[in-house]
Amino acid sequence: MSNKTRYFVAISGAILAIGLGTGLVASYMGLPVSVFSSAAGPEELQYVPADAAVVAYANVRDVMNSELRKRFQAVEPSTEQKNEFEEKTGLNFEEHVDSVVAAVMPKDGMANHPAGAFLILARTQYNAEKLQNLAIEHGAEVTEYQGKTLITHQDKDTNDPTPDHMAFGFVEADLVAFGTIDSVKAAIDARASNRNIVSNNEMMKLVNEINNANAWAVGRFDAIADKAGLPTEVRNAMPSISWFSAAGHINGGVSGTFKAEAKDEATAKNLRDVMAGFLAMAKMQAQNKPGMQQLADSLVISGEGNSVALAFDIPAEVLDVLEGLAKSRQQGQLQRQ
Amino acid sequence: MIDQANGRTRPQMSYFAASRRVFDLSLGEMLWSRRTIFMALVVAGPVLLALIVKGVELFGMSALRVNGQRVAGFGIFGVMIWMLFLRFIIPVLGVFYGTALMADEVEDKTITYLFTRPIPRGAVLVGKYLAYLACTLLVVLPSVMIVYFLLVPFAQLPATFGNLLIDMGLIALGLAVYGGVFAFVGAFFKRPLVIGLVFAFGWEQVVLALPGYLKQFTIAYYLQALVPHAMPSDGVASLLQGMFRETPPLAVSMFWLFTYLAGFLYLATRVVERKEYVLEQ
Repeated sequence: MSNKTRYFVAISGAILAIGLGTGLVASYMGLPVSVFSSAAGPEELQYVPADAAVVAYANVRDVMNSELRKRFQAVEPSTEQKNEFEEKTGLNFEEHVDSVVAAVMPKDGMANHPAGAFLILARTQYNAEKLQNLAIEHGAEVTEYQGKTLITHQDKDTNDPTPDHMAFGFVEADLVAFGTIDSVKAAIDARASNRNIVSNNEMMKLVNEINNANAWAVGRFDAIADKAGLPTEVRNAMPSISWFSAAGHINGGVSGTFKAEAKDEATAKNLRDVMAGFLAMAKMQAQNKPGMQQLADSLVISGEGNSVALAFDIPAEVLDVLEGLAKSRQQGQLQRQ
Repeated sequence: MIDQANGRTRPQMSYFAASRRVFDLSLGEMLWSRRTIFMALVVAGPVLLALIVKGVELFGMSALRVNGQRVAGFGIFGVMIWMLFLRFIIPVLGVFYGTALMADEVEDKTITYLFTRPIPRGAVLVGKYLAYLACTLLVVLPSVMIVYFLLVPFAQLPATFGNLLIDMGLIALGLAVYGGVFAFVGAFFKRPLVIGLVFAFGWEQVVLALPGYLKQFTIAYYLQALVPHAMPSDGVASLLQGMFRETPPLAVSMFWLFTYLAGFLYLATRVVERKEYVLEQ
């Protein structure tokens, strides 16, 4: 073998070895998500405990500035009510909040104490002093946990033997955590110990698959269903779904994808068939209704193996038509009255 | 065999040692032949395409849409594996290299020199076949790897790396099986290139689009059953193939692919051992 050939073999081998090495490290050591990519979800995920079964994210700033939101401004609370809230808390939801992350940590008895399972993290500009004073006025206490300020409120009037005492934690200069005292403390611990949802490879795989969405949610469906205290009949009737993810992009219109992973191929196929049936029925019903027809046409079912996916795209034009239909119906009702 | 230098009989080399010697000799020849320039151009196509897709996506545009939905990253990689590598590059490399293993030696009238060496005739073909496999794998697999890393974001790596390994295994198996079949064609027929092209781009394409059992006499039928990606609909031919597609089980596909490989490679060595090659003057 000549030197030229040896060099060629060495270069080809090196490309393969580097690629395979990188991939193997990525797949089996769980490093890559945080190491190679800054796009692996928002930074707030580092505060979400590793046992969270559902994680949801919304880019509030994007949604607030979207064309779609402007359509709904008419039904929002009056400016007077908003000003009162802003005066008391120093928070203007529209201007100060950038994004919100919500997580569900399933616990026994979650059905009776849903608040105990939730954690909300909001990236926002806040006035800590104003919020603390307001909380103290309403009977809350200000404590410290791992160097972070917590506002805790214990409901002393409740008859519940295991009440969920709520807490509000200032975890970063522009990040607040809200939930029960335990869940807010768990969030601070998760960040400090680096044992958070980012180290949960299965969950992060779903997060990483989300592209171009300003609102999304991913999670383990079965973990929630087990703890939600659903009646046995309902649980038995539900398809065996293990993972799900939903992602949407809101601007002038709304587009999104819902994906689910069934426990076996047969369930996934049944689910696809059922969805296809509903879709066909919806398309039939939507005939001769321009807005609805476009909406029905935008629904696409896909998936293979264990996965099922439903994608939709509602362009601004469809919303215009739907808005027009709603207005004409309203006018019709007024005329009849 | 008489050693000219000292008049003693030189013992014949073992099959394995002879194949290895031919492999060493042929690998360099194949890598630096004009045919490799053609192969480099063929495998550079997907890399170039991946660069264009990456460039388009960097500007926030979508390079591929299916049913109005954006296809990005691993989806595009899957389409490229299916349409460029498995349906075009693998058969074309199999035809050009496989048929040339023996035919080139006959055409260049150098086969006599190989056959007069103290090695089993069949080992010449096996050594050349292994050199073909090494040469094509060394060019095609790095290309697949580069395309993968260009198209798939690092963040999606843990979720998709397993499929890349399956794709690479599939490409290696495809090159091995097509190479084995066309090695036989090259050793047996007089105009092997034409026959090879007709088989890969005529017979296989037509038969796959037709209902019936004939598709079982193709390699693509079993190879496509192993593809982890959904078959993209890229026109009338794919639509027809999709309509009549019967995916054989994994074990059946693997069995027939390895049977084709072993069977045709055995037949090719038998042909080389028995055939009297007449060199045209």
